[in-house]
Amino acid sequence: MAALAALVSAAPVEFNRDIRPILSDKCFACHGPDNQNRKANLRLDTEAGAKADLGKRAAIVPGDPAKSALVQRITHASKGLRMPPFATGNSLSERETELLTQWIREGAPWQKHWSFMPPVRAAAPQVSNAAWAKSPLDRFVLARLDREGMKPSPEADRRTLIRRVSLDLTGLPPSPEEADAFVADKSPDAYEKVVDRLLRSPRYGERMAIRWLDAARYADTNGYQTDAERFMWRWRDWVIDAFNKNMPFDRFTIEQLAGDLLPNATRDQIIATGFNRNHRGNGEGGSLAEEFIVEYSVDRVETTSTVWMGMTLTCTRCHDHKYDPFTQKDFFSMFAFFNNIPEKGKTFKYGNSPPMIPAPTAAQEESLKEIESELSRAANTYERLHPDRVAAQKDWEAKLDKSARIEWAPHRELLAHYTFDGSADAAGPGGKTLPAAVKEGSADFAPGKHGQSARFDGKRYVDGGNLAPFGFYSKFSLAAWIKPSAKDGAVVTRANEADETAGYGIYLKNGKIQVNLIARWLDDCLRVETVDAVKTGEWTHVAMTYDGTRIADGIKIYVNGEAAKLKYIVDDLNQNFQTKEPLRIGSGGGMRFQGEIDDVRVYNVAISAAEAAVLAEAASVNELAAIPREKRGRPQADKVEWCFLDKFAPAPVRDAWNGLYDWRRKREFFLDSVPTVMVMQERPVKKDTFLLIRGQYDRPGDKVDRAVPKSLPPLPKDAPADRLGLARWLMSPENPLTARVTANRFWQGIFGTGLVKTVEDFGAQGEWPMNPELLDWLAVDFRESGWDVKKLMKTIVTSATYRQSSKSTPALTQKDPDNRLLARGPRVRLAPEMVRDQALLMAGLLVEKTGGPSVKPYQPAGLWKELAGGTDYQRDRGENLYRRGMYTYWKRAVPPPGMMTFDSAGREACVVRENRTNTPMQALALMNDETYLEAARKLAERMIREGGNSPESRLARGFEIATARQPNERESRVLASSFQRNLDRFQTDPAAAAQLLKQGESEPDKSIAPVTLAAYSTVASLILNLDETVTKE
Amino acid sequence: MENALQSTRRYFFSRASATLGIPALASLLPGSMRGATGDAATGGMAGLPHFAAKAKRVIYLFQSGGPSQMDLFDWKPKLAGLRKTELPDSIRRGQRLTGMTATQTNFPVAPTIFEFKQHGQSGAWISNLLPHLSKMADGLTFVKSMHTTAINHDPAVTFFQTGFQLAGRPSIGAWLAYGLGTENKDLPAFVVMVSQGSGNPADQPLYDRLWGSGFLPTKYQGIKFRSIGDPVLHIANPGGIDQTARRGFIDDLNALNRLKLDDYGDPEIATRVAQYEMAFRMQTSVPELTDLSKEPERMFELYGKESRTPGTFAANCLLARRLAERGVRFIQLFHRGWDQHNKLPKALPGQARDIDQPCAALLTDLKERGLLDDTLVVWGGEFGRTVYCQGKLTEDDYGRDHHPRCFTVWMAGGGVKPGVSHGETDDFSYNIANDPVDVHDLHSTILHCLGVDHTKLTFKYQGRHFRLTDIHGNVVKPLLA
Repeated sequence: MAALAALVSAAPVEFNRDIRPILSDKCFACHGPDNQNRKANLRLDTEAGAKADLGKRAAIVPGDPAKSALVQRITHASKGLRMPPFATGNSLSERETELLTQWIREGAPWQKHWSFMPPVRAAAPQVSNAAWAKSPLDRFVLARLDREGMKPSPEADRRTLIRRVSLDLTGLPPSPEEADAFVADKSPDAYEKVVDRLLRSPRYGERMAIRWLDAARYADTNGYQTDAERFMWRWRDWVIDAFNKNMPFDRFTIEQLAGDLLPNATRDQIIATGFNRNHRGNGEGGSLAEEFIVEYSVDRVETTSTVWMGMTLTCTRCHDHKYDPFTQKDFFSMFAFFNNIPEKGKTFKYGNSPPMIPAPTAAQEESLKEIESELSRAANTYERLHPDRVAAQKDWEAKLDKSARIEWAPHRELLAHYTFDGSADAAGPGGKTLPAAVKEGSADFAPGKHGQSARFDGKRYVDGGNLAPFGFYSKFSLAAWIKPSAKDGAVVTRANEADETAGYGIYLKNGKIQVNLIARWLDDCLRVETVDAVKTGEWTHVAMTYDGTRIADGIKIYVNGEAAKLKYIVDDLNQNFQTKEPLRIGSGGGMRFQGEIDDVRVYNVAISAAEAAVLAEAASVNELAAIPREKRGRPQADKVEWCFLDKFAPAPVRDAWNGLYDWRRKREFFLDSVPTVMVMQERPVKKDTFLLIRGQYDRPGDKVDRAVPKSLPPLPKDAPADRLGLARWLMSPENPLTARVTANRFWQGIFGTGLVKTVEDFGAQGEWPMNPELLDWLAVDFRESGWDVKKLMKTIVTSATYRQSSKSTPALTQKDPDNRLLARGPRVRLAPEMVRDQALLMAGLLVEKTGGPSVKPYQPAGLWKELAGGTDYQRDRGENLYRRGMYTYWKRAVPPPGMMTFDSAGREACVVRENRTNTPMQALALMNDETYLEAARKLAERMIREGGNSPESRLARGFEIATARQPNERESRVLASSFQRNLDRFQTDPAAAAQLLKQGESEPDKSIAPVTLAAYSTVASLILNLDETVTKE
Repeated sequence: MENALQSTRRYFFSRASATLGIPALASLLPGSMRGATGDAATGGMAGLPHFAAKAKRVIYLFQSGGPSQMDLFDWKPKLAGLRKTELPDSIRRGQRLTGMTATQTNFPVAPTIFEFKQHGQSGAWISNLLPHLSKMADGLTFVKSMHTTAINHDPAVTFFQTGFQLAGRPSIGAWLAYGLGTENKDLPAFVVMVSQGSGNPADQPLYDRLWGSGFLPTKYQGIKFRSIGDPVLHIANPGGIDQTARRGFIDDLNALNRLKLDDYGDPEIATRVAQYEMAFRMQTSVPELTDLSKEPERMFELYGKESRTPGTFAANCLLARRLAERGVRFIQLFHRGWDQHNKLPKALPGQARDIDQPCAALLTDLKERGLLDDTLVVWGGEFGRTVYCQGKLTEDDYGRDHHPRCFTVWMAGGGVKPGVSHGETDDFSYNIANDPVDVHDLHSTILHCLGVDHTKLTFKYQGRHFRLTDIHGNVVKPLLA
């Protein structure tokens, strides 16, 4: 810090750089924008406030420090009167006091906060060595160095350079051959060719996407309590694809914030809006929906404002900002853009929560197209046969033998059919008998609706055994004829027998038909009920269907074939409701049936309304066929026609009918199997938004409208006041923040530190940019290029500044330890995922495949179990062990230790600042983690295979694979002695060698003697642990 | 080498005083490097402690799930006569309930079925589920009037750990590691251990972030000692590599890294050299620490037979003492299984047995070694439980829902006054009758015992000076020795 202060002191006092940070840090908390807590009616965050006449005195009298109350108070002899108050723990340093005084003496010139003024492209400054600059960018850097009397470092050698730029643009090092080719390429544009090749590599999109995932708090679990799985990887793949296609950053922004609102939005544009559904979702039992629904929108505001505006609006959730000109009203006006989605505060505990869409991959889209064309072919075939079909049916009806009673009911996906004609057993698929037992009494059959029915006395019930294990995502239907003699009873269930306990079932409750899907009563279940009661003592047909959507709306109840009006009693299911109870007829959920039940059908599908109506049609096919065609009701006509098509139609007609059905089913199955992704959507009727007093969900204050913060340029007059309007406003040339914030974040990705170190805070408390003209030049250049991200990256990595050697000297380290002035190239430890990705690549293990579901590579045993109980981490096998780190399954409760140890963002909330620590935990991981031990063994095999015949050349090969250069003589000596010592050791102890080779799933190369391989593995491990290997230099 | 370390030391501490980008776990710094701070014992913030500390370290026995205060410590004799009666509206006052019972049609009072007796000179009422702890009654400081604002596990535990209900802020242990540094050169300043109780095997999960460093540098995060596999991740060498071979490996590695340092002059390289040395030392110190085989038989008798089983609360208590002996700053145990929504009478005795003897043993053991004077022990969960029954109330069965409005926490040891019971609840253990203590108050009191003014332990992030206690917290003076 001291060094930094020294760096800035070289210039004259400048308000934004020197004064505002002091006022902000030491004074604004009591004399700032916050109206509620302002002391002494003095406001120092505005020029008017600071220079206002406060009755014969003013805090600041320009040009006259002695008369300025501010100076009097900060230099007051009495500790009790000196500002800032002692109790706040804040005090001014001598230097700060001096700066304030000097500034007032110089006339106290005021400036608007720098980041609120639009960036302007300054003319490239005059510099000491114009020939050095390859881009205007370099002149800004050199001008700064000139001011400090410093010189840039020489250009890095080609091997260092190609390794640096390969890591920066693709996250992976070059192969030795790529390095050799670059060294050998004498053409003037050799370096540019490398850069262009890297920017075209699909690895580039992966490298760029992962930092965006950190910002977007992307993860594979919901993040609260049980922390169960969710599926957002289709959004993740969209991001990779967008970077690879070099989607302009404005489109990239607009599609993620408001793709759903674009005219004729494509599926991809809607998938993009998953960005703002990546926040955590709480499905914890007992959690209060109204509390968490607020948190989701708060998260969206915080993430969006941090990522695009570099402004932390978090403080303004509870009160006006103490440092920046944002009010609590601004916060809730922004909140109003994001709270109008049809979501629930209590999410599903397992899986994605609405709103969500099916999001087939490109390959799946292809398969779907095929299925759909088959389907339309089947439909055509069926339609073509229409005249034949009608004629044949007429013919068949005319010839029907009226005496033989024909019964027919829909039987596709029929799992069990209980006729109760003298037996409790059911008929299963293919005519199989499914044995059932009568429990707590003996069987009692009586003449029923169809043949005989089963009689129930409030005690006895039918136990169908382990049938129909429907759950959370199942689609199913239950149907029966009932003739109740009491108003309460269970019809068909698979549920515990106590009151209000787990399981599913259709019940009679106070005469109404009730359906329960219960994981835990009251807070984890669905319960719907018909508005009207059925009559006791009469036969009524009842049916229910559930479509697996996990919401009450997914349940239908049909009474006598008609969809019943329903009342949703509880709509709060969020996990599986399967039980180990048997399928029961006449019992379950603490109730028993009294009366008769007949013709029970259990379907493995949600039957259609037409099918439910046919089920309720009691008359036989013969009777219905006797009715003149034009007088048949719809279900009657359907029943006759479907029976004909199913049983009596000529073979081509029947085949066409079945074929059509089969393709429809295939399509449905396929759609059920494609991944979904949670997306943004607007409610049909706009939700009112209220400022929340102290930010508390249960204390609504004044109503607010959607608006952007007052201190920034307004939304254009003709812009819609919705997310689309907001997204376009962020990308408009008038917006002073987005271009700067974004360019700065990309800069951080390359140099390790932003030009503004506080990449998340461009406000008064954030850092003043190290080189404001450079930042503005980059920002304007980026915006004016049409937000071309690849061009921005290219501008940076082809600059002379970037290409400097990263070697330092004691004097340079002393003067600029963090390399903020850029008198040398960046030397930064690799990002968390790169450490592993690179090791896998060097070992030849890396499986390069873009996108797809997340994978579970090696992790220490018992990792999940100890914290979460229940299921432990089940690692994948085969190629999923070797994918790039960005595809590693991210469980929020237990994030991958390999990533966290190397300083990954935690993915709980938006994180944009990159951080590098250097810890013993990292040393332990690199030395002992199975991942790196296996990689070392495979790298050793490569060294032996590719490195010629001498140990020296093999060791050099390993070193070269890791660093893109040959070891020097002293390094070679250390490698050689290390190898020899290990070889000796393993030769005396071959068992140790055998043990060392056991790491990882891959097989050791059997053609290499274990002792030799173990010795090379140890040196390969040494190479993987080298500072140079884990550092971009 | 010495030169390289010298420059590293300077570099390290110049960086450590900045806010970010700190290149090493200061809490894990080798002694030879820590010498440079002037205060040989720590790597903490300048100016801390703010005043004389009574306690040097904390053992926080976190009881995850929400222990039932009125079945353990908060004796309510008047409830016996009110069994099955509806909880009066005058008591419930329309306060919010969890989604699990909010739509319950009635709220019958369920008095405890366990017996209470008074113990020691202080006359503390303790349930017969805790016979061993009862004998220590005079050494305990009870807070009967704890309350919190969160009503569900995740936000409630997060609140206790970080002073805020939503994830993202540093945990209390991380704050103290940041503020006070460490007293041991070979071990982390903040260690966490987790155990599963018998009371509710499918209990609430825990999260790595609960001992995370939030926006503080990662080096302050709690290091979890695991009961499965390596006690610290990757501390064990693979088969075929013993410590001698590892020593040789690190020597070779450091030789190569020093060549690089000479060439590049990046102090980060020197830091890496030092971190490999530290890792090597941890490979000895951690197994030595977690190896209980040399503990005398008497110790296993004291802590109970479960202390022989790694990963139990009892074994973790014994380890906690060993960590305290070695000067670890913040030792936190999480014992899961206190979430008795139903079948409380069946589940609670086992759950209480899990912790009863080990807690008493830990206090005895610390005392015998003279460590209790400067070790603050804290016991408590994230909230209490309701007096009304969740689910069906029968002769021998009841359940209790989450209750944030009042519950009991106890403390012992350095800085707190023994034999005190602070605060009272009403006759239903539903509302606080007097002296409420909130989570920020408890935090500020714990910090006070360690000589830290909670208003001055701050970290600037996103433009704001953050505190563990946010803008709240009052030290509870009557608790202090």
